[in-house]
Amino acid sequence: MPDLTIASHPRFTRRCRGSAVVSSLVAVLTLALAGGSLGCRGGDASPARRTIIDSRDNYDPRSLDPAKSTDVPTGRDVGYLFDGLTRFTPDARLVPALATRWEISADGRTYTFHLRKGVTFHDGTPFVARQVVHSFQRALDPKERGGRGWPLYPISGAQAYAAGRSETIGGLSVRDDSTIVMVLDQPFPIFPKLLAMPVASIVPDSTPPDFGEHPVGTGPWRFVEWKHDDYVKFARNEKYWGGKAASDSLMARVIAEPSTAVAEFESGNVDILYIPESDTRRWENTDERSATLASAPGLRLWYMAINTTRGPLKDVRVRQAINYAVDTKTILDQLIGGRGNVAGGVIPPALDGGDSTRHYAYDTTKAKQLLADAGLPNGIDVELWTGQTPPFPRLAEAIQSYLAKVGIRAKIVQRESAAMREAARKGDTDLALKDWFADYPDAENFLYPLLHSANRGVGGNVSFYSSAAFDKLVDAARKEPDDAKRITLYKQADALAFNDAPMLYLFFYKDLDAVQPWIRGFQLPSILNGQDMRGVSIEHAGPGR
Amino acid sequence: MARVFLRRLLLSIPTLFGVLVVVFLLLYVAPGDPVMAMVGERADPQTIARLRAELRLDDPLPAQFAHYAGGVLRGDLGRSYITGRPILSDLLERFPKTLQLAGAAMLLAAICGMTLGVLAARRPGGWVDRLSLGVAYLGISFPVYWIGLILILVFAMKLRWLPPSGFGGIRYLVLPALALGMRSIAFLARMTRSAMLEALGADFTRTAKAKGVPERVVVVRHALRNALIPVITVLGLDFGAYLTGSILTETIFSWPGLGRYVVNAIARRDLPGVQGAVLFMSVVFVLVNLLTDLAYAKTDPRVRLG
Repeated sequence: MPDLTIASHPRFTRRCRGSAVVSSLVAVLTLALAGGSLGCRGGDASPARRTIIDSRDNYDPRSLDPAKSTDVPTGRDVGYLFDGLTRFTPDARLVPALATRWEISADGRTYTFHLRKGVTFHDGTPFVARQVVHSFQRALDPKERGGRGWPLYPISGAQAYAAGRSETIGGLSVRDDSTIVMVLDQPFPIFPKLLAMPVASIVPDSTPPDFGEHPVGTGPWRFVEWKHDDYVKFARNEKYWGGKAASDSLMARVIAEPSTAVAEFESGNVDILYIPESDTRRWENTDERSATLASAPGLRLWYMAINTTRGPLKDVRVRQAINYAVDTKTILDQLIGGRGNVAGGVIPPALDGGDSTRHYAYDTTKAKQLLADAGLPNGIDVELWTGQTPPFPRLAEAIQSYLAKVGIRAKIVQRESAAMREAARKGDTDLALKDWFADYPDAENFLYPLLHSANRGVGGNVSFYSSAAFDKLVDAARKEPDDAKRITLYKQADALAFNDAPMLYLFFYKDLDAVQPWIRGFQLPSILNGQDMRGVSIEHAGPGR
Repeated sequence: MARVFLRRLLLSIPTLFGVLVVVFLLLYVAPGDPVMAMVGERADPQTIARLRAELRLDDPLPAQFAHYAGGVLRGDLGRSYITGRPILSDLLERFPKTLQLAGAAMLLAAICGMTLGVLAARRPGGWVDRLSLGVAYLGISFPVYWIGLILILVFAMKLRWLPPSGFGGIRYLVLPALALGMRSIAFLARMTRSAMLEALGADFTRTAKAKGVPERVVVVRHALRNALIPVITVLGLDFGAYLTGSILTETIFSWPGLGRYVVNAIARRDLPGVQGAVLFMSVVFVLVNLLTDLAYAKTDPRVRLG
């Protein structure tokens, strides 16, 4: 997309309001070319509408069916329409939802969930325990073509069901209408967090083939209308068990082009805007704009996986050299608008177990020395794979030039994201530039998929890192019921992998949105389905508006 | 005329079959696995294997093609791998929106472009001629996304006359139609001008003038009608191109048409989606070309279709 963006220069923003002077086309073009902006926010007057309009989705949701929630727009919308047994708050804490409480057996394998009574779906049918079974079966059933059954795999028999080897999920049993028992293969104390993921949302008994187009849930918002590639509209659920939403309705608009989203925001037509990295400074450095900004520590890691099984990259010294060779702080400041913290591990500092003090300091001498120690004084040749979504290609170029300074000659291979991911999973990439979003707020969601040997390849570990000591620590952590002990194990595992350098640690991302001044109660969530919009409202200027 | 139409329609079937084969093969050669795109960042080999089987991706290529072509013959373009929705209904939902945008753009182009061209040709070197040359230069030189952003900047953000983006009534249509039609306006203005100049200088116009036909009639009936042939060609080709979805314009103005659908389908490796959309567009393109040919015959009695 073009470099010309509409959001722009502070000098011009003051001119906007009330200016009725029609500039000549020539003047407009000149200003635009000079990088000036004629736009402004919709003023301070709140709009007459009563619908909250979100503009953050840049592509159409895959479906509104929880079983198909594999992308961000779908996950967010499913979070409005449905409830899980548990849910996340905006600051990523776990709280009860359709389950009011649960008990865990002494061996840590049996969970007894007590379900909320008196809850009804949007069509009036009451919520009962058997629907939990139905929902989980759908999510696992290959016929539904969902593709995201893994959050339910800890339940005994779930994998067998997904593979078609069993007619039922053995570990799932209904005790009565308001009690459901889940038996896990092994203790997994963070399991309730996985149940807050969109895919584990509860659907009613009846799910016709077009359920994804006409969803019915128990969530705070009910479905009104979906115009593909345009918007999804929701109206509040008047009977929501947790109290009805503050606003009448909610609309998630799909706006593909970031500059257009900015134009809509500045015209006052949308309430929430995602700020692209390249625009960060412009927003932060303009008083009027910065007042609208909301940020949250995103549970998202940017990194460059180093395939530990390929050529010279097998040598830990070479991998460490890569980490010393790149000045991540400068890259973060220059290319990502300073949005985040330099990473020295895979656990975000916002999560328990994260360590924000440790990182590889930029040191080219040390990098060259390590390469020499590895018997490679003349450097190495590698391929650096990247997707095409900004800012990845520019990030790749920056890393390439840093690596060149210590003799690591990286050839950039740029592919469309799906193709690049596939190559990385097959182990065909030396270096693969990536990011990783948390599905649930726990260190395990980074350590296990990204670096555990069980997840090499498709599981997410595209470094093909395999360390018995690391695996042992993570396996122990996954079973450890004591929070403090588990976090200690996380920290040990993260530190251990850090020394093995299976990736170039880049940074943890900070999410940044702009929110209109008339919006009340919006807190940017750290996790995608952490904000159910119930408490968000438009403050109207006066009665009758 | 009806027989000619029917014959030409039948002749386009091999063309469309060729499109079907090429699209099918291209997508299987291109990198990117639909299942990988479907499951997202974290998956397990077992799910992937089951999904591949469910989507028949492990069948031999000829068998997959036979299955697909069989469906197409029955009018079934299949279901999207990703959304599970029938492709045809998805396309039919978007096509009227693309049609609306393309139609508006062509209408603007025909009216503005031809008027500018005719006026320019009447006084070559005059101020109208120079203005039309300027418009043509701008229209052809600036890429559509740039024009689109400038239109949003001026008319939506600065003047606040029109909404920046979205789909709805005529207010939402003006800016994207203008952005999309700009190139055609420019092209048509030049095309009409030169065709008009040629026709105005031709023997038959001189004869007409000589026998005392008023200038207005000479321009409209004698010159313009003859100048229309190349203009119809341009209109037809551009209309065909716009109808197959204008990706950049639709993206910038959040217009939910075919172009956006195709981009999404490609990004998600939704093979049936891409195949269905390309096939659909080919049918539209062939039809528009056919109609253009028929329009020639109507305008120029020397053209005989057969």
